[in-house]
Amino acid sequence: MEGLTAGLMAVALAGLGLWTLVHRRNVIWKLLGLNVASGGSILFLVAVAHRPDGRPPILGLGPGPATDPLPQALVLTAIVIHFATLALSLVYVVFLTERRHTQDVPKLERRRSRR
Amino acid sequence: MTAAAAGVLAYFLLGTLGVVTGKGRLGGALAIVAGLVSLGLWAPGFPEGLIGDPPWGIPLVGDTIALAFWCFIPLVHAAVWWHERRRPSAFHGLVTLLVGTCLATVLSRDLFNLYVALELGSLLSFLLIGYDPRARAVWGSLQYLILATVGMLLYLFGVALVYGTLGTLSLTRIAELAPDFAHPPLAIGAGLLVAGAAVKAGVFLVGLWLPTAYGEAPTGVATLLAGLVGKMGIVTLARLAESMPVGTVVTALGVLTGFGGLLYALWEKDLKRFLAYHVISQIGYMLMGFGLGGPAFFAATLYTVAHCLFKGLLFQAGGVAVEATGERTIPSLAGRLPRAAAWGLAVGTWAIVGIPPLAGFVSKEYLGIEATTAFSWTFTALALGTTASFSKLIPLFRPGRPGGAWGGIALLAFGVVGFSAWGLARLPGLWAADLWAKALITVVLGYGLFRILSKFRPRLPEVTLDRVAVAILGVSAIIPLTLLAFG
Amino acid sequence: MRWVTALSLVALLSVLVVGTLGLFPRDPVEGWEEATSAYGARNAVAAIVLGARLWDTLMEVLVYAMAMLGVRMGMSTLPEFRAPRPRVAETPLLLKAADILIGVVFVFSLYLAASGHLGPGGGFPAGAILGSGLLLLALAKGADRLAEELYEPTLEGLEYGAVAVLLLIGAMTLLLGVRGQIPLVAANLFIGLEVAIGAWVVLHRFTTHRGEV
Repeated sequence: MEGLTAGLMAVALAGLGLWTLVHRRNVIWKLLGLNVASGGSILFLVAVAHRPDGRPPILGLGPGPATDPLPQALVLTAIVIHFATLALSLVYVVFLTERRHTQDVPKLERRRSRR
Repeated sequence: MTAAAAGVLAYFLLGTLGVVTGKGRLGGALAIVAGLVSLGLWAPGFPEGLIGDPPWGIPLVGDTIALAFWCFIPLVHAAVWWHERRRPSAFHGLVTLLVGTCLATVLSRDLFNLYVALELGSLLSFLLIGYDPRARAVWGSLQYLILATVGMLLYLFGVALVYGTLGTLSLTRIAELAPDFAHPPLAIGAGLLVAGAAVKAGVFLVGLWLPTAYGEAPTGVATLLAGLVGKMGIVTLARLAESMPVGTVVTALGVLTGFGGLLYALWEKDLKRFLAYHVISQIGYMLMGFGLGGPAFFAATLYTVAHCLFKGLLFQAGGVAVEATGERTIPSLAGRLPRAAAWGLAVGTWAIVGIPPLAGFVSKEYLGIEATTAFSWTFTALALGTTASFSKLIPLFRPGRPGGAWGGIALLAFGVVGFSAWGLARLPGLWAADLWAKALITVVLGYGLFRILSKFRPRLPEVTLDRVAVAILGVSAIIPLTLLAFG
Repeated sequence: MRWVTALSLVALLSVLVVGTLGLFPRDPVEGWEEATSAYGARNAVAAIVLGARLWDTLMEVLVYAMAMLGVRMGMSTLPEFRAPRPRVAETPLLLKAADILIGVVFVFSLYLAASGHLGPGGGFPAGAILGSGLLLLALAKGADRLAEELYEPTLEGLEYGAVAVLLLIGAMTLLLGVRGQIPLVAANLFIGLEVAIGAWVVLHRFTTHRGEV
């Protein structure tokens, strides 16, 4: 049951993030929304790993069912990728703020200032 | 398999060392040699092998797609290497890493490994698109970054759903299990995988980050993106269509993409954006072929390779023209191009509109032969539109000054001609007179269509970040629903 | 436009909810014990990340290293922060706490990296902890002073050197079939080094160009 709850919460988190992404005009808000949604996808993978009464998949922790180690390993990779992408995009935002003096997406999209 | 994996690792190692030691150019050259040696060792293919132990190892396969890509990737890399040879070492290191990522992507048969490889490819592309600190290029890169991340997020949900249902990430194993879409999580997972990969591939509506990103990238980078990196999403879609019953959806996406991209390309004035819209349009051919499966699958592989070569050539020549004159729009470029750029554009156009006997003719007609009749006519309609759209470029073919950076152009043109010769010699059914007549008539009719269409100036909806993001959400809801309903 | 957005988002979320509802309960996991001990590990996640799926992990390390390279390149095109830096909050509490904690933090991160194959831990958390230790130092002593102590070109060499070593470890494990604890520990230590240096690069670049810790 906990797995299902976590999965549904992950979907809710993704929804929250994606709504922020498409609704806000400020690019920083968009990136924040994207990050929240990424958190949702990571939580979803962790939820998939869940087993009822599972223990951590480490040898020597006694008998009983274990949780699935593979999604947990995938999550490790996904977290690093999301972090790296966020760091890079924030640098780009800093750069654009410096050059264009705005973080508003419709203004950034105007093709007038061609430099 | 060991040889292929060693080739990829050598690419990564040389790229990393190139970034840090200041010997990126040497590293790139050595990497090209290493890639060719590795290809020589594993050609003509290897059966599936796990890299890492079961049950978690990553399956790698050296099949036709992998072989086709490995054969021409060194050529594209060499063209980019030569054109950008004056750039600093770190640039060459990044290019080497990006090419290595593509080599790894085409080998992989693992859902999550494809995710990681696509993300590494996108990250390196972001860096290279924004390499010149110009606000427009950086904005194009950031837009690409945001939309690609949304796509990959949905792909990750798809990975979780498919893994949760089938308990495996290997596409070969998934194909053996022969999934049927009566079970909702599986259908939804497969739909999300297709939607996520479609964003990366540049399918119409969801992939409209592509014109800005390609249009603003430096010349060599645009060649690399159009000729190589952009195809990684397509390869992912092809792998998905191979192992899960999603072929119909991929075909439908192909039809949408083919005509949608063409619609925007017809009236675009900016040379590089025009070429980028045509990338979207040509992706339609590939997706239709991959979605139909069977003999059309191989034909679509060939089309992908041919497209990489001539689109790389077009972007290279267009980039040289823009670099030499400082102008970007087609009317203001007319008659001012250096000779190399004009000839490169001419050969590329000749190839892409499908005038015999160059690569476009070979690959398009072969795809038409292998597809069913209805799709054969769709391809003809698309070819008509492509000709009409490319007729705009005719004033550019007259060179206005001698010289120009010819190195990369010559390499890629050599690739196009080589592919055409190989195709005409090896592929069956291309020497029929009616095919040649049909291709020539299509070109003439296309030129006529251009004269008619140039009278109109429709206002197409503007492409903005928010609209594309909403389109991604909508499409990734529609595809799983379709699979649920009809799968 | 807003209605279209709401509609597509609601459709997407309901699709995801339907998928989630059909996913549980799931079958128990089997056969992970043998595969884990074959790699000389006791933590199955470490056996996957550093053994069976090292191919993924290598690309992931490259993603991280290249993102840090992007931060360095992007920030170097911007002007440095000219105005006088805001003074570091040199409260005695922070200074004392940094003095006491920093050793513990460093030792703990080393422990996590070295024992990641036996229990919870591993190179990524270890690197992140080491990076936050550096952040603590920067808060207490000021980022400028810390930057003088940590010579940047050496760090850069170390960072990419760590990536290169990881690629070589990958070649040994994946292509030559080397197994055992030594490659796992080495991989964890080098990943920790790489992540910590990357974290420092982000910290330092954002400080010099944006002017705040």
